[in-house]
Amino acid sequence: MPIAPKPSSALLIVGHGSTENPDSSTPYFEHADEIRSRGIFAEVHCCFWKEEPSMREAGYLVDSEEIYVVPDFISEGYFTQDVIPRELRLTGPTTVVGGKTYHYCLPVGVHRSMTGLILKRAREVAPGVDPAQTTLIITGHGTGLNQNSTKAIRDQVELIAASGAGYAAVLDAFMEEQPFIAGWDKMALTPNVIVVPFFISDGLHSYQDIPVLLGIENEVGAAASQREIFRHNPHHVRNKTLYYTSAIGTERLLADVILDQVSDFDRIHKLS
Amino acid sequence: MSIALQLRELLRSGIHRIGELEIQTDVYGYPYVICHHEDAERSTDSAFGGLEVHEGPADARDLSTYAPDGSYRFAKGQTNLKQGWVMALENEEDLRLALDQFYPAGVGLFLASRAGALETETLREKLDRQTGMYRFARTISDAGAQRLVREVCGPAHQCAKKILWRIAPETPLEDSEASRYNGIPGGLAESQAIPLLCREACNHFVAECRKAAKAENDARSEAT
Ligand code: SF4
Repeated sequence: MPIAPKPSSALLIVGHGSTENPDSSTPYFEHADEIRSRGIFAEVHCCFWKEEPSMREAGYLVDSEEIYVVPDFISEGYFTQDVIPRELRLTGPTTVVGGKTYHYCLPVGVHRSMTGLILKRAREVAPGVDPAQTTLIITGHGTGLNQNSTKAIRDQVELIAASGAGYAAVLDAFMEEQPFIAGWDKMALTPNVIVVPFFISDGLHSYQDIPVLLGIENEVGAAASQREIFRHNPHHVRNKTLYYTSAIGTERLLADVILDQVSDFDRIHKLS
Repeated sequence: MSIALQLRELLRSGIHRIGELEIQTDVYGYPYVICHHEDAERSTDSAFGGLEVHEGPADARDLSTYAPDGSYRFAKGQTNLKQGWVMALENEEDLRLALDQFYPAGVGLFLASRAGALETETLREKLDRQTGMYRFARTISDAGAQRLVREVCGPAHQCAKKILWRIAPETPLEDSEASRYNGIPGGLAESQAIPLLCREACNHFVAECRKAAKAENDARSEAT
């Protein structure tokens, strides 16, 4: 459902950002550009935990009295539940801070429309490949720290398995917890395997760590060569044909998921 | 009045610089043109003096992300902005959008500060809110933090921001070149530039605090 224009509201996209890797915040800016180009909001801004502008500086960027805040994060967790509300001084779904009204939406990664994005990514990276001969693996970090990101991935696996997309199997796998992504070839019984990293940005995990675990790269390579990893599909490794996509958050259509979260907020909290 | 319109007023009042950016008005039919201030003279020659021309604000992020040597400019106050380009902008909204990529919230922070509405944050508050491995940064001593200001901030260390914060409410920064700096690179008069303001210690400073705190801790353990 297309979102109704909000000519007197601002959209604030919150990302993690990095002081080491400039690619880390690229998706956030691309999502902001995309939404800005559609002219839905009076203004669209980004703010970060580890880059400028900080969340505390964000208020000085915005003219509008009403601000929709969407965490461009893959799951609920410490950042979306503790850090962002604390930094922006939000106390509930809607909070008035310094005379401005902030609406705090859910993070993009938990929206049901993510399922469609994953399927689109998978189709694009492996055109013409028969799903019945293919295992789709959604992979993430997975640690004790954020159980929710593991859950977000497992939810997607279930949704895709139930979607009728026709994959022989849809599996979850993680860098640091069972089932380990390093064992992808043993998990998959089919000749073809598609691996989609469930991260917002192509940070070190999807450029460097996961390719090594998959066996595409022998060692953690230099950052400049990492983009090549996504260009050389398919990879013939461990007697399988492997297709590896870039992080799901780099999908331009993630902008639609941001807008979906705004619509959902209105539907649930404003009854409009 | 919107930030963009206030920006227009600032430019009309004679301001033409923010950070390392020169802001020119009415150049070859463009209401606003920005470039590195070292390129300002050249940019007024015909065909923008042969500088690479970017129309609209879209490329501002790319131009501001990498230093001339290709390194990542993760702190936006860094005085290593690339030269060799101009950006031509159609209106003050686009100008504001571009400036917010080069100097995030820079105009808004200045307007708030001029209106007496800018809240600053002490270093202790900033450090106390750190997560993960940066938590340890909070153990840095006041003396260690004062030393870091001298060693990390200020134009001698490639940061062009004017520091507005204190170590703690009762602990102002000690006097130094860094703590005295006015946020205007290039020695321009204050009436001609929007100063870059540092309302809270940046993440680079926090990372340095963590390192220094570790060193202090190691020194203490060795002493016992
Ligand atoms: S903390 Fe220091 S180095 Fe960091 S932005 Fe502020 S003045 Fe610059």
